[in-house]
Amino acid sequence: MARQLLDRQLVDVTGRLVGKVDDVEFALDDDGVPYVRTLLSGPGALGARVGGRLGRMLVLAAERFVSDPPLTPMRIPFRLVERVDSAVWLRVPAEELPASPVEEWLRRHLIGRIPGAGRASG
Amino acid sequence: MRKLLAATLGVLSAVGGFVDIGDLVAASQAGARFGMGHAWVLLLGVVGICAYADMAGRIAAVSGRAVFDLVRERLGARVALLNLVASYLVTVLTLAAELGGVALALRLAAGLPYLVWVPVAGLAVWLVLWRMRFQLMERVFGLAGLALVVFAVALWWLPTDWAALGRGMLHPGEAGHGWGAYWFVAVALFASTVSPYEVFFFSSGGVEERWSAEDLADARSSVLIGFPVGGLLALSLIATATVVFHPGTSVTTLDQVARPVLLAFGAVGLAVVSLGFFAVTFGAALETGLSAAYAAAQYFGWQWGKRVSPREAARFHAVLLVSVLLGVLVLLTTVDPVTLTEYMLIVSAVALPLTYLPILVVANDRTYLGDRVNGRLLNLLGAVFLLVILAASVAAVPLAITTRMGQ
Repeated sequence: MARQLLDRQLVDVTGRLVGKVDDVEFALDDDGVPYVRTLLSGPGALGARVGGRLGRMLVLAAERFVSDPPLTPMRIPFRLVERVDSAVWLRVPAEELPASPVEEWLRRHLIGRIPGAGRASG
Repeated sequence: MRKLLAATLGVLSAVGGFVDIGDLVAASQAGARFGMGHAWVLLLGVVGICAYADMAGRIAAVSGRAVFDLVRERLGARVALLNLVASYLVTVLTLAAELGGVALALRLAAGLPYLVWVPVAGLAVWLVLWRMRFQLMERVFGLAGLALVVFAVALWWLPTDWAALGRGMLHPGEAGHGWGAYWFVAVALFASTVSPYEVFFFSSGGVEERWSAEDLADARSSVLIGFPVGGLLALSLIATATVVFHPGTSVTTLDQVARPVLLAFGAVGLAVVSLGFFAVTFGAALETGLSAAYAAAQYFGWQWGKRVSPREAARFHAVLLVSVLLGVLVLLTTVDPVTLTEYMLIVSAVALPLTYLPILVVANDRTYLGDRVNGRLLNLLGAVFLLVILAASVAAVPLAITTRMGQ
């Protein structure tokens, strides 16, 4: 199950791309059978999974964009997953999920300040 | 009628889009030094890139996911990250070489020192990426790139010995430069023909334009006709360089690449060639810039593409901006753009398997493609081509060192 989910693209209900499944969290049900409880997404979770110097560099680079490290990954409860095929489709829009701090920072300080940032060029 | 027009436009822009700074440099150098002896390399490259573009297009249309998106699921997070870093560096290096080509073309047309044009080229490329519609962008630069047909026309104006050209194609020789140099040029020409960014761009473009199985047929035919015809353009570059320079002179500047047309048609020829050089390098700069940002966004799962506003794809557009800036900075070190292109081709040759192996793997994966996986014939072709790529990749650096970059 985890193999099918890991590294897959997360897509919200309107088709927007929200991130990758960078890690998964298991829990045990009443009978002691493990099940997938939460999907984790974000450079913090990815860096830990990649490991080594490369993983640490990834986390350090991402932490430059947040005001209060450490970086916490986006947590998506598994019940929000609609279906899984070549991507993981969620039943909620991206607005209801916590936003990526890196995306927010770049939007506010760089891309959003350039004229024309609000219009798609198609 | 509309449909036919659209299909024709698609084919024509694929023709123009096939050639870039790498082909201009490598094909002319091959022709000037070894005559027609490298024609077979072009043929091999075109067959290979058609096979892999077909796979990449099918993956995009059936699974709705671009190639790099799936690479991470197949290779795992760590290996795919290493692949991303290497692919990104090669693509930005290619972007720098293309921007250098744009600046050289502008100098050829309008005078003024080349370095003045470098920031102008960078800014113009970024502006087009920021604002112009995807399809319009592809069409405008692809069609203007067809101006390079002037090389083929020049062959009829020049005192061409057609029989000698034909013999040269069938009997490759080292022409007094040594076989090491011959194979070095072969590897560079091969890398210029099968540039990885073309496949990234093709598959991401397919997802961006939301291909279904029906559009796939159109897109495929434009590539399967357009790339071979583009290969003929590259062949005419080799042929004119053979007629004008071989044997004797070697080609070290873009002005020399243009000389056969200048000899045949004078100032008018120069104007047409400048337009062609500008269009193909500018178009390739757009494609490489986008490819670099596609690769990063698809690895990390960010929102990407030109269909959403830049504000909604801030990380994608930030990578795009940084890549163009990096390209400009590389050129501002005053490195010679033709030399940069030669090194870029060798580095690309080394990195070729990173792009092509994952495509072959995914194109055989039933979880994504169902019964639309590769047939046996295409797999055979793909596997043979992959062996050629591996050989070129392994041989590139030893050849570069032992021949001192092909001398």
